[in-house]
This record gives sequence, C-alpha cells and structure tokens, in this order.
Amino acid sequence: MANLTFISSMKEHCMLAAAESGNSVLFTFLIYILGVFVIAWLSNKLLQNRNFLSEYFLGSRGLGVWAFALTLAATSSSGGSFMGFPAKIYTHGWVLALWIGSYMVVPICVMGLLGKRINQVARISGAITVPDILRDRFNSVWFGLVSVALIIFFMTFNLVAQFKAGSEILRTLLGPIDAFNSAVASLPEWFGNFSGLGADYMLCLVVFGIAVIVYTTYGGFHAVVWTDVMQGIVMVVGVIIMLPLAISQATDAIDSSDSSKTGMAAVTEEMAKMVPPRHVSVLVALPHEATEDTQIPPGTWVSFQGTAPHGANNRVFRTKQRHIIASGSQVAVVEAIEIISDSDKRRSFIAMKSQNENDTVGVVPSLEVRFVLNQATVKIPADYNGDLNAVKLQVRTLLPWTDENGTKRIARLYAVTSPVDDLKAGDALDAYVIDFVKTAGTTLETEQSVYKAQVDEFPQLAGIEITSLDDGYYAYGAADEEVGSYVMAPGPHRDSTSGFLPLSLAISFFFMWAISGTGQPSNMVRLMAFKDTVTLRRSIFTVALYYTMIYFPLVIIFCCARILLPGMEAEADRIMPQMAVTLTTNVGMGWLAGLLIAAPFAAVMSTVDSFLLMISSALVRDIYQRNMNPDATEKQIKKLSYIFTLVVGLGALVGAMNPPEFLQDIIVYTGSGLAAAFLAPVVFALYWPRSNHQGCIAAMTGGFGAHLSLYIIGFINGEGFTPYRPLELDPIIIGLFASFIIGFIVTLKTAPPSDKVVQKYFYKKLEG
Amino acid sequence: MASDLERDSYSSEPDPTFVNSRREAIVIFCTWFVALIWAVTYCKINGYDIEDPANIPTTLGMPSWVVWGIATPWLVADLFTTWFCFCFMKDDELGIAGDEEHLEHAAEVDG
Repeated sequence: MANLTFISSMKEHCMLAAAESGNSVLFTFLIYILGVFVIAWLSNKLLQNRNFLSEYFLGSRGLGVWAFALTLAATSSSGGSFMGFPAKIYTHGWVLALWIGSYMVVPICVMGLLGKRINQVARISGAITVPDILRDRFNSVWFGLVSVALIIFFMTFNLVAQFKAGSEILRTLLGPIDAFNSAVASLPEWFGNFSGLGADYMLCLVVFGIAVIVYTTYGGFHAVVWTDVMQGIVMVVGVIIMLPLAISQATDAIDSSDSSKTGMAAVTEEMAKMVPPRHVSVLVALPHEATEDTQIPPGTWVSFQGTAPHGANNRVFRTKQRHIIASGSQVAVVEAIEIISDSDKRRSFIAMKSQNENDTVGVVPSLEVRFVLNQATVKIPADYNGDLNAVKLQVRTLLPWTDENGTKRIARLYAVTSPVDDLKAGDALDAYVIDFVKTAGTTLETEQSVYKAQVDEFPQLAGIEITSLDDGYYAYGAADEEVGSYVMAPGPHRDSTSGFLPLSLAISFFFMWAISGTGQPSNMVRLMAFKDTVTLRRSIFTVALYYTMIYFPLVIIFCCARILLPGMEAEADRIMPQMAVTLTTNVGMGWLAGLLIAAPFAAVMSTVDSFLLMISSALVRDIYQRNMNPDATEKQIKKLSYIFTLVVGLGALVGAMNPPEFLQDIIVYTGSGLAAAFLAPVVFALYWPRSNHQGCIAAMTGGFGAHLSLYIIGFINGEGFTPYRPLELDPIIIGLFASFIIGFIVTLKTAPPSDKVVQKYFYKKLEG
Repeated sequence: MASDLERDSYSSEPDPTFVNSRREAIVIFCTWFVALIWAVTYCKINGYDIEDPANIPTTLGMPSWVVWGIATPWLVADLFTTWFCFCFMKDDELGIAGDEEHLEHAAEVDG
C-alpha cells in the first residue's frame, strides 16, 4: 500500500481535538457493549421456569412503565432520529419543526389508539405475534400466513438496511480514533474484499452485527427491552446536555457587529441571511507534482488564494469526498460545495485559517483552486452525419445549451469524462464545463457569435450540444426572492422547485409519523406486552414527555449548528458526531463526547434488535409451530428460536456486506408499506364486530397493492425508487385510504362472522 | 352458528374494555385531527411565503410561526395527554392469557 500523505483539514483538526476524547469515546463504546451483554445474560436467566415462547418473544406480557415506555420510544427512534434528522435540520433549517410536528401526538396515537384493546385481544386469543392475533381473531389460517409473508417481506429488506445504517454510524463514530484505524490497517486484504464499501465498513459491520445478533439471540425479548431502556436514557441525556451548550456557543460565534440580538434570536436572525451553498466540482492543484499519493480528506477547506480567473477571489469551498492526487500528478477534480452567504463566508475563512495553521504537513496552505466546474451531459445527435473522428471535444470548446426557460446559452467545455475513442451518433457523454454563469443581453449575444465563429471554423461541431447542465444552485432557496429560506417554510431544497416541505408533504408527514407509526407491527408487538392499563396510562405520559425532550430540542440544537459549523452540507450525515465533539471540546469536556456520540448508535441498535426478533418470531411461531408442528415440544421451540434468530441475523449481516442501492428509500418504503397493509385490518379486527376475514384480507392486500403500485408507476416513469405522488400526497395516505375503503366494502359484501367469534372478542365473559 | 351453551357463557352487554377502548380511540383520533389542523393551518398562513424574512418576527428567539404553530400546540398536546392519561382513560381488566396461568399459579403458591 502506498504511503499516503494525509492533508489535514478543518475536519481533521476537529478530529485532532476529538482524538483527545477519542479514548473516552472508545471507552464509552466498550462499556456500552459490555452493558448490553450483561443485560442479555440476565434476560436469559429470566427465561428459566417460564413459558419459553411467551417470554422469549413477548416478555411474558409483564412490562412495567419504564420498560414499556422506553422500549417503544427507543424502537421508534431509529438511527434516522440521531443521524438523518439532524442532517435534515442543518440542511433545511427551521421548517423541520413542522416536518416533525406530529410527534406532539405520536405517543398518544401510537400507544393509545390500539394499545389497550390489542393487549386484551392478544390475551383472549393467547397470541404472541401480530399474525397470531389476526389468525385467531378470524379463525383463518390463510390470514395468518398472508400477514406472516408480508412481515417477512418488509422486515427482511428493512433489516439489511438497518444493519448497513448501524455499520455506517459506527464507522462515523470510530473513524477518528487511532486504535480503530490501526485495527483496520492490520486487517488482511481478503477481509475487506467481502464488501465493496471498504475494510473499515466491513469491520464495523461485523462488530455491530455480532453484538446485536448475540445479545438478541441469547436474551430474547427482555434483552431487547432492557437494552432499549439503557439506549433511551443515553439518547435523552445526550440531547439535554447539548441544548444549552449549542445555544450559548452559537451566540458567542456570531459577530456582535452583525446583530444587536442575543441567544436564539441572534441565531435566527443570522439564519435569515443565509443562502444555501452551491454544489460544484473544483480543480485543485498542488504547487508541484506530488511525489507520493496525496489524500484530500472530505471536509477540507480550499480557496483560490488570490488567483481567481473566474469571479472574485474571496470564494471558499469545502470538499465533499475523499480524493487522491496521484503520485506524479499535480491536480485533481474534487466535488465540493461553495459557500455563498457573506456571514457564512467569514466563518468559513476563519475555519480555513484554523485548518491551515494546524496543518502539520504544510501542504494545505499551498493547495489552491484553479477552476470551478459544473457537471454536464454532451449529446451527439442521433442523426449526426459528419465525421466523428474529426470531432475534438477539448478544453474551452464552446457548446450550446438551452436552459430551463428555453434561452439558448453557451458553455465552455473543460473535459469529457466518458470514453471518446469510439464516438457514435446518439452518444451521451459525461463532461465538466467551466463555471457556468447565466449571461444576458450583449454578453449572451457575444457568446453566441463566438460560438457561431467556432462552428464556421470547425463545422463538425455543429449539432453537438449540452443536453443537461447542473449549475449547482439549489432549485429552491438560492434565488434573490427566496432569501431567508432557512427560517421559513417550505425550506431550501437542492432538487425540488417546490422546496423541502410543500404543504401537501407537511400534511403527509402528519399521517406518516402518527398514523403510520400506529400501524407498525413492531409497535403492535410491544403493545401486547405491557402488564396492565395503569402501565399503559403512565407510559403514554412518559413517552410524551420523552419525545418533547428529544425532538424539539434537536431542531434548536442543529439550527445552532448552522452557525457553529459552516459548510457541513459537504458531509451532512456527520453533523451529529461533529457537533458533539465541537460542543464538548469548546468547554474543555472532551470526554463528554463519548456519551453524546453513543446516542445514534444506541438508537439504531434498539431498532435492529426488535426487527430481528420479529422476523424470527414469525418463522418460529407463525410458520413452524402453528402450521408445521403444532405439537412441538418446548425444547424444540427453544432450539429453533435460537437457531432462527441467529440465522436471520447472520443472513442480514451477509446481505449488508454489499447492500442494494436506494437503501434509505427502502427503509421509507417498508415503513409506510407495513402501515398501509396492517393498520386497517388490525383496527377492523379490534373495533368492528362485523368485520370478517374476507374484508380484512382485502384491506391488507388492497393497502399493500395500492402502496406498491405507486412505487411501480414511479419506477416506470423513470424516477427510480421515487414513488408517483398523486396530488403530491405520499403513498402512505393513498395506501391507507385504499386499505380502509376496500376492507369496509368487502366486509359488507360478505357474510358476517359467527356469533361465537363476536362474543368471544366483544362481549364480557361471565364468571363460572 | 354458536350453540346456546356457548352463547350463555358471555354476557349480553358489550365488554367494557372494548367499549372504553373504542371511546378513547375516537377521542385520540380527534386529537390527532385537531393537532393537524392547528399546526398545518397556522404554519401555512404564517410560515410559508414570508414577505420580509430578514426581519422575521421571533418569539423566544425562534421564528414566531414555529412557536405558535408547533411549540405551543406541542405543549398543549402534552397537557392534554396528561389529562387524558390521568383523568379520562379508564383502568380496565385485560384478562389472563393461557401462557400466564402458570405464573399466576406460581404467585399464588408463593403468596
């Protein structure tokens, strides 16, 4: 392996600061893992002398307030709450308060709408799983099997995605720690080759996967619940510590000449001036040819440093990904963001100065931007009849482009990155053009006349044009009339001209969190496990307070992050650990970062263990015991439960080594798909005596089908995993409506259930 | 059709746990709807298309539309949840599942 010169950057500088807390992060992590295994061991002890299935998969229906409240809260708060959500707040601003707003009623909806009744029905039927309830409530083997199939279908995809998320989070957390990097470097090459995402990802996946699989397999439901409790406490303590630190430090970071306001008012005022950054590529150059491979880490600040061939020289950029300037070369094209707001620029130059001063190698101060580039597609017409061998697509070749308003413009080519050895008519080539600026009036006329002269000289270029050009500006939030997008709705968005949260989406998210959350089988299982209604009442209250202490403060904290850490759009998913390190090192308490950084890891772990247990319970209880071997002994059930949990976990681990594309989209799809399929049948089963298995199976398949069809239409329309949204409404709303309506109609059109079934579930049983 | 014997083992009155659960579910669904209307309507009127964002009105340092459109209903929702949990929601009998019976028996023996 070639020796690499690591260029220090602001991020690396923070990493140096983090290195002081690195050992404490590692120490916290190890203590945490140890605690998880102790809990699993204690839970396994509980399995003795109890009905194995009920205890292993449902905790013997005996959860008290803290266990029930925190396991439900922690399971709902997946890795997204502590990685994705902060990144969204940082990227889109105050509008995230509206995006997450329905969490004000999520606890009462998720636990109160179904809780008491599903717990009672599960006890009447002796159900341990959600398919168990549906099968027994309607006396229908088929209903049980259909619901098991849907749970396994959705959960398997989701489990792979969550394994990947957990590993990515662990990689982010441990990345700055020397001991971790040394361990990665010492790994044999074959180990890293198992995954296309690198040896560090592979190591994190194995550590994360083995830990979750072992404690879940060994300890069962109680291990999952009590680790959730521990994880829930870690999350809320982390947020409570960060909130005052974030507000005070953000206020201090604002130049007093800019604002007479203090505290959050100053932060909000400063955010109102911000303009979203521009996404570009930059050609960076070393002063001399590199003598060895030289890495430019993500998050490195770069500027023109006085040489500005295009635009003013006070432009500042931050790199998005790791790049290497190869030995013998002097330049590299690097993806970056350009900071546009004046106040952001000032803080960014301060950060760059600090980065350069802390650079121990001495390379960074001499690294300079030569060109700003935009990505484009060059198209050779399908009916091109000239000599393609004579076409020279070289630097500064002028090419025409028609913008979104239909105006003919001219762009200057920097380089074509697709192979050009064997050009054919109809080819579309990836290319970079030199910093495209929209011109008008005489400037545009001059450009067009120069282009005409070029075509006169090189007629083979006629007809070759640019068909798409990304100028890098946000589709919403970058225009003059959209200034202030960080403090108002719909919030800035890189791709959508409607902004981040148009009204239709805001309504959709009220369904998404509160109603979709109610329809999650993983939540329903927990609702079957609480001890009594006193526990339920107190738990709803506890979770309401818990969510209030977590979600709204997170919005405030990561709005403050926009002031403290400019340019983090370059690597937004790192904002949570970066903020934790910054806040704690600024007050000389670096050791505290370990606790704060453990929160997102805890969140994803608590979600994964629950999903793992749900799939294995579906296999053991719903398929094996109820359909294949009803007379299975407890010993056989026990053995199979351990084996299935282990095998499902290992299968997900293997799947996550090379995870499929669109992973985040898969998580969204499975979450909303489960709700569309399960909510209506369960509501009918619990609250409507007239409901029957025909109506509920129709509701389940109808909701599943309607939801899936919107994704299929989106795919056919060429939008990949982005669903078709009629009236801009999310598929969850369409799926839920379809499910309830189809279920209602089919139920009324088919025979009512027997009196025996209705009496069993809806009438009070007489004593004796 | 159920036999007379089977039918006689149940009261003719609906199970109170079912009745109370249904009543509470209706109230909760209405609460969700009120929260949706309050938050989305207020934010639509005051949070979208602000004419002069540079001088955006603030309350407690946050944009006012966030405070009155999200934070305030959130606080009200918490107060409502407290009332709902401790004053409105009934304590009902959930029954004993078959898998719990041996635990009940063990508790009786221990006692």
